[in-house]
Amino acid sequence: MYEYARMKFYCDEDRCIECNACTIACAEAHELPVGIHRRKVVTLNEGIEGKEFSVSIACMHCTDAPCSQVCPVDCFYIRADGIVLHDKDKCIGCGYCLYACPFGAPQFPRDGAFGIRGVMDKCTMCAGGPAPTFSEKEYQLYGQNRIAEGKVPMCAAVCSTNALIVGDAESVSKIKRERDAAKGKGPMTPYGWDQAYK
Amino acid sequence: MKKLPLFSVISLGFLYAGVVPLVEPNMAPQHPGSRLISPELIEAIPSWHKYGELFLYLQTHWVKLLFLIVLLAVPTVFLLHYLIVGPKIFSHEGRKFLIFPTWQRIIHWIAALGFILLVPSGFFIIYGKYFGGGTPIRFMRYMHDIGAFLFALVVIPMTVMWFKEMLPRLWDIKWMMILGGYLSKEKREIPASKFNAGQKMWYWVAMFGGMVMIITGVMMYFQDFDIALLKKLNLYQIDLLRLAIMIHLGLALLIVAFFFTHLYMSLFAIKGSIESMIDGCKSEDELKHLHSIYYKKIIKEGKDKELAEKCKD
Ligand code: SF4
Ligand code: SF4
Repeated sequence: MYEYARMKFYCDEDRCIECNACTIACAEAHELPVGIHRRKVVTLNEGIEGKEFSVSIACMHCTDAPCSQVCPVDCFYIRADGIVLHDKDKCIGCGYCLYACPFGAPQFPRDGAFGIRGVMDKCTMCAGGPAPTFSEKEYQLYGQNRIAEGKVPMCAAVCSTNALIVGDAESVSKIKRERDAAKGKGPMTPYGWDQAYK
Repeated sequence: MKKLPLFSVISLGFLYAGVVPLVEPNMAPQHPGSRLISPELIEAIPSWHKYGELFLYLQTHWVKLLFLIVLLAVPTVFLLHYLIVGPKIFSHEGRKFLIFPTWQRIIHWIAALGFILLVPSGFFIIYGKYFGGGTPIRFMRYMHDIGAFLFALVVIPMTVMWFKEMLPRLWDIKWMMILGGYLSKEKREIPASKFNAGQKMWYWVAMFGGMVMIITGVMMYFQDFDIALLKKLNLYQIDLLRLAIMIHLGLALLIVAFFFTHLYMSLFAIKGSIESMIDGCKSEDELKHLHSIYYKKIIKEGKDKELAEKCKD
């Protein structure tokens, strides 16, 4: 269907130990403003034995990304490899992308005298933005462009348990299949996704 | 005693320092009690199918189209009306009566200014991509906020000041049946008190619809807020936001259509009627025909001399 492999994130909830390294590493690498968390670790069923697990979520870089479909100023662009990026110079901070996003990825920093909502900020899969690659402007607006440097995104790079994996969809699902098979689990879909992608 | 202000500033400072949320860094909400960044983020994923998908569908298939229809169809209908039936012209000679006291006019004009900022900026946001987005459209978004603030200032006083006169009356049905007499050139007595049925409809749509617009707008402005109602409504915060945007856009269609009508009536359909919002006075001729019930009432109560006195300059 696609000429290119599509890049995907996957967080293995069997492995995530809620250490928050991904969140912090991301914020540090991209020098994010306080209050902005492109990646968040969320814990479910906290304290309930056997049922508690954590998962790190950010922008999922959706196929047919809903955010890009609703944006009134058309500032999203989807790279050939499936990474969903957006143009902060065009964005008006209306928030429509957040209302359309299934994963709550878009966020809005507040600043100015009245705490006015700024333009949208979300995970770039460490692929920068529309400004020229490695330019000062790209760094200022979107953070490091690690993909252009040939590195994996910061969050996946620091994940000590290898819970967070990133790569083309084929390889990611292969890793997940092998892990499940090793545990004798058989193919599984992560919590909620069987409904989310029905 | 002199030290009291200093003391309170310092203690306030400590109080404020105390509310800095000491939560794990990844979960730090923008406001304490926020539900946008929380385990609910994950629980709300399956519920995307309810309102998320609906919003996606409406936004991609209907919003631009419906607003375009309102933007083109309503003025076209009025243009045809103007060309075929033409405006109503009343004599502005003779007596004039004070209908709207100064304070009502001030309130009205603040609301009007709000609308003048709100409606075009709203259209610019909806069609932002045809203007390239970026700073000009972001500026429109700020104008939208300022317009909303102006309207929010006066919406309650305005609702209260005209509430009684805007309650529906029996003769409004008659007004509806003849469509306010706007389909013919004939000058005759139209059944209406101080406000006709059309104005009443506009009032209810603008005031109560406007309040809903403000509430949904404020929700979208702050996005991340603490609301106890959520649990009761069995809604996730993100779903509440999705509902807010859909209600906001749907209601906007109705309000914009009425707003265009209001503009047409006051600027074109009834010549000189805008003057009553400038000096507060309506001519005897206009009042007699368009607000016949009100006219008869002030004559009967003998208030006419007093009201006419106030309009002499
Ligand atoms: S912002 Fe949301 S909708 Fe857009 S690609 Fe990322 S996860 Fe998908
Ligand atoms: S906030 Fe920005 S990116 Fe999101 S929909 Fe609005 S203009 Fe587009």
